Amino acid sequence: MDRVVAWASRLVFVFLYLPIAALIVYSLNASDVNYRWEGVSLRWYAELFADRMLLETLRTSLIVGLLAALLATALGFLSSMALVRFRVKGRGAFLGAILIPLIVPEIVLGVSLLTVFSTVGVPAGFLTLVLGHTVITLPLATLVQMGAMSSLDPSLPDAAADLGAGAFTTFRRVTFPLLRPAILAAFLLSFATSFGNIVISTFTSGVGTTTLPLRIYSQLKTGLTPELNALGTLLVVLTLAIILIVGVGQLRRILAGGPDQT
Amino acid sequence: MTETPAPVAVRLRGITKTFGSNTVVRPLDLDIRDGEFFSILGPSGCGKTTLMRMITGFESPTDGSVELAGRDVSKVPTRDRDLNMLFQSYALFPHLSVYENVAFELRVRRTPKAELDTRVREALELVRLADFGDRKPNELSGGQRQRVALARAVVGRPAVVLLDEPLGALDQKLRKEMQFELKRMQREVGITFIYVTHDQEEALTMSDRIAVMSEGRVLQVASPIDIYDAPASRFVAGFIGSCNLIPARLEAGRAVTSGAGAIPADTAEAATRGLADGAEVVVAVRPERVTLHADPAAAPAGAVRGVISARVFLGDEWTVHVDAQGLTLTVQVPSGETGAALAALADGAEVAVSWTTAAGRILPAVDQTSGDAAGATATVTAGPTSEGAAA
Repeated sequence: MDRVVAWASRLVFVFLYLPIAALIVYSLNASDVNYRWEGVSLRWYAELFADRMLLETLRTSLIVGLLAALLATALGFLSSMALVRFRVKGRGAFLGAILIPLIVPEIVLGVSLLTVFSTVGVPAGFLTLVLGHTVITLPLATLVQMGAMSSLDPSLPDAAADLGAGAFTTFRRVTFPLLRPAILAAFLLSFATSFGNIVISTFTSGVGTTTLPLRIYSQLKTGLTPELNALGTLLVVLTLAIILIVGVGQLRRILAGGPDQT
Repeated sequence: MTETPAPVAVRLRGITKTFGSNTVVRPLDLDIRDGEFFSILGPSGCGKTTLMRMITGFESPTDGSVELAGRDVSKVPTRDRDLNMLFQSYALFPHLSVYENVAFELRVRRTPKAELDTRVREALELVRLADFGDRKPNELSGGQRQRVALARAVVGRPAVVLLDEPLGALDQKLRKEMQFELKRMQREVGITFIYVTHDQEEALTMSDRIAVMSEGRVLQVASPIDIYDAPASRFVAGFIGSCNLIPARLEAGRAVTSGAGAIPADTAEAATRGLADGAEVVVAVRPERVTLHADPAAAPAGAVRGVISARVFLGDEWTVHVDAQGLTLTVQVPSGETGAALAALADGAEVAVSWTTAAGRILPAVDQTSGDAAGATATVTAGPTSEGAAA
C-alpha cells in the first residue's frame, strides 16, 4: 500500500513537471516545428530577441503587471490596516465587497469593466488594463496582508507610542519591517496574476497595448512557434530566481499569513 | 505615614471613563507619590486597566484630569508623557534584537551613540541579561522576555513605569522570584512603579501602598499591612486574603450574632468610625487569628463552641471548618502541637474557637461606597470568603 502511494505521488510530480521539462528541452530544439527533434541549438533564443512584436507585448505585460501589483498592494495594505486595526462599522460588508471579485467569474468582470469604461468614455489602453488588473489582484493582495496584520500583537503600536514614536516612526520602525514579507508576497502574487491574465486583458486592452498572453493566444490560430518555448523557459527561470531570492520557507510562511519572526 | 510626604508623581482628579452607557471608572481622585511602588488591585472588570490606560494616554478620560509631576497632561499624547508601560503581552518588537528593543526609545529620541550604548548596557545589566543583547525575543523564555520589557521601560529613565499584570503569563515559581526581582529593581532605579494586578499576593508582597478597586471605584488606599489588618469595607476584607465575615448587630457595646450570642469584636475602635449601637455590621476575623481549642472545657471565657465539619492538611498548617451555632468559621491551625492535637480528633468532634477583641474588626454590613454591588462579590452568608473573588 505504501509503495502504491509512493509511486502515485511520484506520478503526480511527473505530471506537474513534465510539461515544464519538455518546454525547456524543446526551447533548445533546432527544428522549425515543435514536434520534431533535430538537435541542440540556441536558434530560437536568437529569434526571440529579434522578434520586436513579441518583445513589445512582453514589455506591456511587465509594465501593466508592475503597476497593477503596486496599486493592489498599496490599496490592499490600507484596507487590511483599516479592517484589522480599527473596528470599522460594517467591517464584514467591506471585507466581502473587497473579496467578491475572487468569486465573480472573470468574464463577467471583463464585460462590466468594458461597459463602464466605454460609458465613461475612457479609451481602451494602458489605463484600462492597469485598472482592470487591479480589480482582480486587489482581493489577493488584501487577503495576504490581512493575515499577516491580524497575527501581529495589537499592543505593538501602543508600545511604540509609549516609547516616544510618532505614527510615522511607528510605521517605519515597527509595522513596516514586520509586514515586509507579507507586502512582498502580496506584490508577487498580484504581479503573477496580472502577468498571466487573458480574460480581463481581452476586454481592457486596446490597440498597441496587447499583452503577452493575448499575443500567444492569438498565435494559436497561426500555429505556435518554438520561439515561445524559449520565452517560456526564460520566464520559468525568472520565477525560480524569485523563489530562491525570497526563500522557499519564507514564501510558505507569508502565503500562510504568518508574521516575520526571523 | 511619613512626616513630609514625598512629592506627587501622578495625581488623578475626578477622573471618569464611560464607554457608551457603561461607566468603567467612576469619578475618582488618587495621588501616587514619587518613588513609591503603588499597586492597583481589583478583580477583572473593576476598571483598573482602563484607569492605567488613562494615565498612559491610550485612553482619554471622559472627565477629570491626569497630572504628572504637577503638570496637567490630560491633552498630551502618550509619546510625550514622561512614563513607560510594561505590557501584559510584553509587546517586544519581534524583528529587533534584545539590544535594539531596549535601545528603541533612545534611538527614537536621537540619543548620542555613546550614551545610548552605555544606557542600554546598564538597563540590560539591571535585569541581568547583559549577555543576551544579540538574541531575538523568540529565543528567550517568558521570564527573560519580561525582563527585556522591563529594561525597555526603564532605559529612558521615565518618572513613572506602569506594569499591567506583568507576572500573569509566568509559572508559579518564577512568579515568586520575579516579585522579589521587581521590588529590587524598583529600589535600584528609584522610579515610581504603578502595578496593576488582580493577584492580592503580588500586591501585598511588593507594594508600598495599595489601592483596592471594585466596580470602577477605589475602595481603600493604604499600606499592605493596613489593607490586611484594617480593611475599610466588607469587599476589601473579603478580597484580600481569606476572612470570616460574621453578620452581627451592635448592642450595648457588644457585637451580637443571632446564633452564637456576643462575639469578640473591637467595638471601641468601631465607634471611632461611627459604628454605634443599633448598627447592622459584619465582624471580620482572619482565620489565622482564630485559636482552636481541642478541649472545649479548657477554652477561655467568650470562646464559641462548635463542631469540626471539615479540615484540610496543607503541610505547614491545617485549614479547619468549624460549625458554631449557625456560623461556619474557617480556622487556620499551624502544624505542630495544636495540629497534632487536632489530627487526633474526629470530624464532628466538639471544639471551641476564640479570638482576641482586637482581631474582630467591625465593618458596615453593606459597603457604603459601592452599595449592594460589593455584596454580590463578598459572601452574603456567614461563610468565609477564602481567596475572595480571586480571578
